[in-house]
Amino acid sequence: MADAPSLITGETKAGDWRNYERVLLPPVKDLHKIDVYEENGGYSALKAIVEDGKFDPKGLTDEVKASGLRGRGGAGFATGLKWSFMPAVDPEKPRYLCCNGDESEPGTFKDRQIFEYNPHLMIEGIVLSCYAMTIKTCYLYIRGEYIDYVNHVQTAVDEAYASGYIGQKILGTDFSTEIVVHCGAGAYICGEETSLMESLEGERAYPRIKPPFPAQSGCWGMPTTINNVETLACVPLIVNRGAAWFAGIGPEKHPGPVLYGISGHVNKPGVYEFPTGMLITDLIEVAGGVRGGKNIKAIIPGGSSTPPLTWEMAREATMDAETLREAGSSMGTAGLCILDEDTDMVAFTRRIAHFYHHESCGQCTPCRDGTGWVEKLLSRIENGEGYTRDLELLLEICDQMEGRTVCALADAAAWPVRWGIRRFRDEFEARCKAESFVSSEMGDGASTETESITI
Amino acid sequence: MTQPFNGSLLRPDFVPGEPVERHFSDVELVWTDDEQKQIATFRSQYPTNDGAVMKVLWLAQNKFSWLPPEVVQFVADTIEVPYAKVYGVATFYTQYYKEKKGTYVLDVCTCFGCQVCGGYDILHYLEDKLGISKGETTADGLFTIQEVECLGACGSAPMLQVTNGPYVHNLTKEKVDALIDDLKEGKMPAFESVTLPQDETDLGGNRRSDTELVTEYQTPPVSETLH
Ligand SMILES: Cc1cc2nc3c(=O)[nH]c(=O)nc-3n(C[C@H](O)[C@H](O)[C@H](O)COP(=O)(O)O)c2cc1C
Ligand code: SF4
Ligand code: FES
Repeated sequence: MADAPSLITGETKAGDWRNYERVLLPPVKDLHKIDVYEENGGYSALKAIVEDGKFDPKGLTDEVKASGLRGRGGAGFATGLKWSFMPAVDPEKPRYLCCNGDESEPGTFKDRQIFEYNPHLMIEGIVLSCYAMTIKTCYLYIRGEYIDYVNHVQTAVDEAYASGYIGQKILGTDFSTEIVVHCGAGAYICGEETSLMESLEGERAYPRIKPPFPAQSGCWGMPTTINNVETLACVPLIVNRGAAWFAGIGPEKHPGPVLYGISGHVNKPGVYEFPTGMLITDLIEVAGGVRGGKNIKAIIPGGSSTPPLTWEMAREATMDAETLREAGSSMGTAGLCILDEDTDMVAFTRRIAHFYHHESCGQCTPCRDGTGWVEKLLSRIENGEGYTRDLELLLEICDQMEGRTVCALADAAAWPVRWGIRRFRDEFEARCKAESFVSSEMGDGASTETESITI
Repeated sequence: MTQPFNGSLLRPDFVPGEPVERHFSDVELVWTDDEQKQIATFRSQYPTNDGAVMKVLWLAQNKFSWLPPEVVQFVADTIEVPYAKVYGVATFYTQYYKEKKGTYVLDVCTCFGCQVCGGYDILHYLEDKLGISKGETTADGLFTIQEVECLGACGSAPMLQVTNGPYVHNLTKEKVDALIDDLKEGKMPAFESVTLPQDETDLGGNRRSDTELVTEYQTPPVSETLH
């Protein structure tokens, strides 16, 4: 819509957030223990559904749809809608749920808090989701570096098995679901949904071409749904308190509680739970303001794949998908990184490029080679050896990476570079040598004799 | 002079048909009863044999400390899948060690969250302190330094991980010194629970009664290298 009113108003969309009561990580001591979780209403959503028949599977999916819950794993896809893509149950075909706890997006450290402090909420959410989609096996994929948390979650899963919340004939009913905890071994790409499935199958984790989408052909070629840890942890809350309650938190199109992981140059970094639609300035305020009272140069709103915003662009924006899109970035994983005025954006962008170069699985040429060239060019600019025309070359490489590969890693690698250069161009140019070279005479242009010839 | 065998699967001196130097004998390459039970559980968790490969590789690495070719072969035989497949998986992931590392592997995060909080300062400090560069192992075989990507602890940056195990958060040079001293005495750091800032008012800053070691997310030190 051409003349829709701007969403960047400088007003919060999180309502009365100062009196917000936390629900994903409520302030209860030892909530990770099953008895404490039960005392605080834990597993009541599961009981309400499997014992009292509060919702049938379709009803539960509709309730999640009505809640407006959107995925917290990065893409922000509507969860209820995703569930409804699962084909009708075919007794011949097993169906799978994958709970994505790979959490490797730089700047993101929120799922870890759920693993440590409220694992049973996630487990209850998994079992409820399995009920909604008539799934009998869930693979809970946790990154290998989180080995302490893998063991911690395994303890919680074992407790839940012992109490009859997972396993055969859950709570004495006909409904059965198993949860298998799977430990990764250090590969960012395994967070991509089809790569995660390859990893589970014991293959090298190369992402698959889509379509077919996981709902048609996922793990072992069977219908599969994949959701993030935090997404699934919202499900018991929706069952207990109703879709209307959930939809009423934060902005209409992207509601609910969110774990904001705030890092970088703030006085009190950490994970904060608030509604969606928080003003970025309010989040910085709760995170104690900027270290040393400095000015802010840039904000990464949701992990490394989300384009950096200048402070001008971010100061009136709120943390929800629509507003951030208008502001020129996206919500991603809600892992904010705050960068103060002293930050070297060239070094910063080069480090992001290094990350993607290291993590590219190598399947597609534009990604495998593109990420490498981007890193090389940025390193040379960082070292003061680059030329202004390298910036155009970088943008051209970005053009050739975006939308031309099997998975979105290549896009995620191109965006921070493209928008970093566009938005902080002065800083990049200041590091570049303006001189170019005359190709026929001067070879590779790197020699000092070329210094007097300008473009 | 040919290069000495460094144990890498991608050995530069590999000559097809020639015997490969082995690090573990057939006598060592056996599973205990307990491990066999675990393997049986792993195999029951996936619809195909291949599914168990990652878990059995982890089990093997924890037992043998790294994965030379004969261990990869051992894993392949255990779950009855081809060597090439297990090799493919082992080489895809960074946490599987394809060459011998030091007793303690120090994985220093320098990804951007840590970078802007002094991750490189910590890396360089460690390199100077131990007299090796990243990717190298000290002569006494005690320490290997590696530069790694985001470990999911950006709020407590800069940070590192010790040998695929515990995280050490909110690093300073003093903390690095203390860590190295402890490791030299064989003391691994204990699990450290990082508390939520919102719990400070509600729960006195700690929501777990079952952890010894608690730390807060802290304001990162001002980096020397980035500014
Ligand atoms: C390169 C890449 C890495 C990803 N890493 C993660 C991850 O670590 N955790 C996660 O939950 N989703 C990750 N995703 C998104 C998943 O593909 C998928 O969209 C998500 O798990 C779906 O869950 P949701 O609908 O609940 O958000 C990644 C996507 C890409 C393209
Ligand atoms: S885009 Fe990159 S990471 Fe994704 S499949 Fe292609 S090469 Fe692999
Ligand atoms: S950037 Fe170092 S832990 Fe995330």
